[in-house]
Amino acid sequence: MNDDLLKINYQKYTLANGLEVILYPDKSLPTVSINIWYRVGSANESPGKTGFAHLFEHMMFQGSQNIPKEGHFKFIQEAGGTLNGSTSIDRTNYYESVPANYLELLLWLESDRMGYLLPALTQDKLDNQKDVVMNERRQRYENQPYGLAWELLFSNLFSSDHPYSWPTIGWMDDIAKFELDDVRNFFKTYYSPNNASLVLGGNFEIETAKSLIDKYFGGIPRADLIPTVSVPPQSLTDNKKVIHEDNVQLPRIYLAWNSDKAFDRYDAALDILSDILSGTKNSRLQKNLLFDNQIAQDVSSFQYSARLSGSFIIISTAKPGIEIDKIKTEIIKEIENLIKNDVTDEELIRAKNSIKSSYIYSLQKLDTIVDHLNHYNFFLNEPDAFLFDISRYEKVTKDNVITAAEKFLKKPFTELNIVPKSK
Amino acid sequence: MKKNMNRSSAPEPTKKISFDIPQIKVLNLNNGLEVYYVKKEKLPIVQSVIISSTGSIGDPDDKKGLAFLTSLLIDEGAGGYDALQLNNELEKLGTITSISANHDTFSFSILSLKENFERSFELLSKIILEPRFEEKDFAREKKKMLDKILQLKDEPSFIASSAFEKRLFKDAPYGSPEIGFEKTASRINNDDVKNFYRKNFRGSNFKSIVVGNITEEEIVRFFNKYLNTLKSKYGENDPIILPVQEKTKIYFVDKKDSAQSEIRIGHITKKRDAEDFYAARIMNTILGGQFSSRINLNLREKRGLTYGAGSSINYFKNAGYFEVSTAVNINNTGEAVSEIVNELNLIREKISDEEIEFAKSYLIKQFPSKFETYTQIAKNISPLIVHRLPIDYYYSYEKSIELVTTDEIGKAALEYIKPDETTIVVVGDKSEIISQLRNLRSYEPIELDIYGNII
Repeated sequence: MNDDLLKINYQKYTLANGLEVILYPDKSLPTVSINIWYRVGSANESPGKTGFAHLFEHMMFQGSQNIPKEGHFKFIQEAGGTLNGSTSIDRTNYYESVPANYLELLLWLESDRMGYLLPALTQDKLDNQKDVVMNERRQRYENQPYGLAWELLFSNLFSSDHPYSWPTIGWMDDIAKFELDDVRNFFKTYYSPNNASLVLGGNFEIETAKSLIDKYFGGIPRADLIPTVSVPPQSLTDNKKVIHEDNVQLPRIYLAWNSDKAFDRYDAALDILSDILSGTKNSRLQKNLLFDNQIAQDVSSFQYSARLSGSFIIISTAKPGIEIDKIKTEIIKEIENLIKNDVTDEELIRAKNSIKSSYIYSLQKLDTIVDHLNHYNFFLNEPDAFLFDISRYEKVTKDNVITAAEKFLKKPFTELNIVPKSK
Repeated sequence: MKKNMNRSSAPEPTKKISFDIPQIKVLNLNNGLEVYYVKKEKLPIVQSVIISSTGSIGDPDDKKGLAFLTSLLIDEGAGGYDALQLNNELEKLGTITSISANHDTFSFSILSLKENFERSFELLSKIILEPRFEEKDFAREKKKMLDKILQLKDEPSFIASSAFEKRLFKDAPYGSPEIGFEKTASRINNDDVKNFYRKNFRGSNFKSIVVGNITEEEIVRFFNKYLNTLKSKYGENDPIILPVQEKTKIYFVDKKDSAQSEIRIGHITKKRDAEDFYAARIMNTILGGQFSSRINLNLREKRGLTYGAGSSINYFKNAGYFEVSTAVNINNTGEAVSEIVNELNLIREKISDEEIEFAKSYLIKQFPSKFETYTQIAKNISPLIVHRLPIDYYYSYEKSIELVTTDEIGKAALEYIKPDETTIVVVGDKSEIISQLRNLRSYEPIELDIYGNII
């Protein structure tokens, strides 16, 4: 593979107020993309106040001192752009892509809400977005078959004071209770230039971009010391089992183990392990459960790694009339089998090739590249880590995969069964 | 100085950077196949799609789901490879394969690295030309499909969409989901699949799309080498007779304990080849086609009834329909339906110049970004094939939007939005929604089963 392809030319610098700026010029399309990460996510919340980072993300689209409610969307859309934001456990991001001649519009909009959100805040806006978010929770989780699985799983994998134990969208009761003061305090605490990094990619001149970024963001004051969350790694001491009845036809099993956090020693090996277990039709679990025994409708697994901790998760839906335990037995058997009897060369190559190809496919979209630069900057303090990241996977050996399986998947786990409601 | 800078108005754009839409070239191959080719060299990627004009509209009434099942089975073993071997060959390359059947088309697509394209294409050609259709693979895939049909009984959004389409299209082929029904799918046997394949994959209407880092010479060589025996000829499906759109009716499907109700409102409308296509497009952009549309701003940003609401004009090859779609808090079902109907009435009365300017600007300026990825470009080409649009269609797109007049947009609202002839389908807990729906009209809402049949 061509290494140049994955070598991203960028410039990184920090404004006097602490805002990190990463510039990635690419003139192959007539567009620019901006992507801002604020180092705050649902892990910064506390029990009783869950869901706030996400609700706050909604408030960032409700206008600021110089931008009317609904204005943010309207300006970007009228310019032919796309925009959104997302909240995860560790961070919140905001992104827009527009035709390159609207670069200044982007900077105006993003800086206005970074610096001047509060003057435009009203009770009406908060009440409205609380309703929207409660409907988001209903639509995406409560009214979806198996939709409550994630929150049930994580609230049982982590102890109740662990910041990954509650869902990013928050508990319904908590969302309903938020007040204007919560919004003000959260903004003052976390939304400042020294808690953010801005990536600009696409068709622009470096010097123009630098002076415009300074013009719009340079005057926003930095915030006082920003609280950070740190918790020691956690591991379950005993297996835990949760059974939940839902409006579903087929029972589904979830198995979750505590594992390495993002970019930690076995993180990449666990990604490869998940591909070997369930990534393809020839993977161990698909072959066993879907092909040979035909006892499951689907199976998937992944290493879900974040800043404070990681989880390795396996999910499978039982065929009609099949007991969940039968599937569980086969899953455990396949894990044992892998640990005892090695991984094949072919499995390793298949996993590595699929990861490598998907990296190259991901370079098609400027949006994705600028988000990746922020991702690497957040975790590694180095935006251009595409090559480093791929080399992590290339270096994984069969032994690493087996050791990772042994180290994490032999430990106690949380099991969740989502089963049809009893009649 | 920075602190005093004037932030009060939006900065003006600078000079627009010109952008050429990728050139589409049609290559005519010996076997009658046409390849729509776009060269794109930025990355070592090739996206290739092969489309046949034989989707699920050709399914026999008592065996609905046949095209869908064929799409599941066709890559389970081909030529000298059994199911697992075949997939292993593709998986080793990191190539992403997808095979799907919708109402109008049956399509095969591969996304691969340039260095692996020839091998991926060779494997794809085996899938198309030499599928094995072995009994044990058939049994497994059929069971998988039946179990999927079972699972869909719990998906409120699927139930709402398929019940809505059933009420709109009745017994016309577009009225049934591609996956079919438990009753029809269970009747399909392996011979049906083989017959479907023989009938449709030998000399039917195939077209292909290739986008990527590949030369014309390579494409011709690979197609001649691997797909030469695929005979493509122009063919027409039987004409489809659409039902007459009925007067406004409210239907509901009872879904116990639902946290929300899923709402679909709309009706059959003009086909893709209508002369006022662009006027309708602009009108719908204003009504419900994007975030800042009337419907979304009203239901979400003003009233907080939903996470999102929107409308679209959808085109099958032989039909068009207008649809508003949303999911709302169950207690607000009645209010949401009545607000949507209200918006349908209002768009017929007045559309402001400001709204039209916004919609045109939105549609025109976002255009270049629709050609960013290899997959996007291929996706943009497929309507040219399905709807038989001219090859230079996209070159005149911006101009066509610009030229639409205010009068034409107002007229499109009258022609495309018919509040008196809408089909309203709500999926939610009957005990919660029935009285809300009853209050909207003077008659009793009509109950449907989950497939959209009147109970």
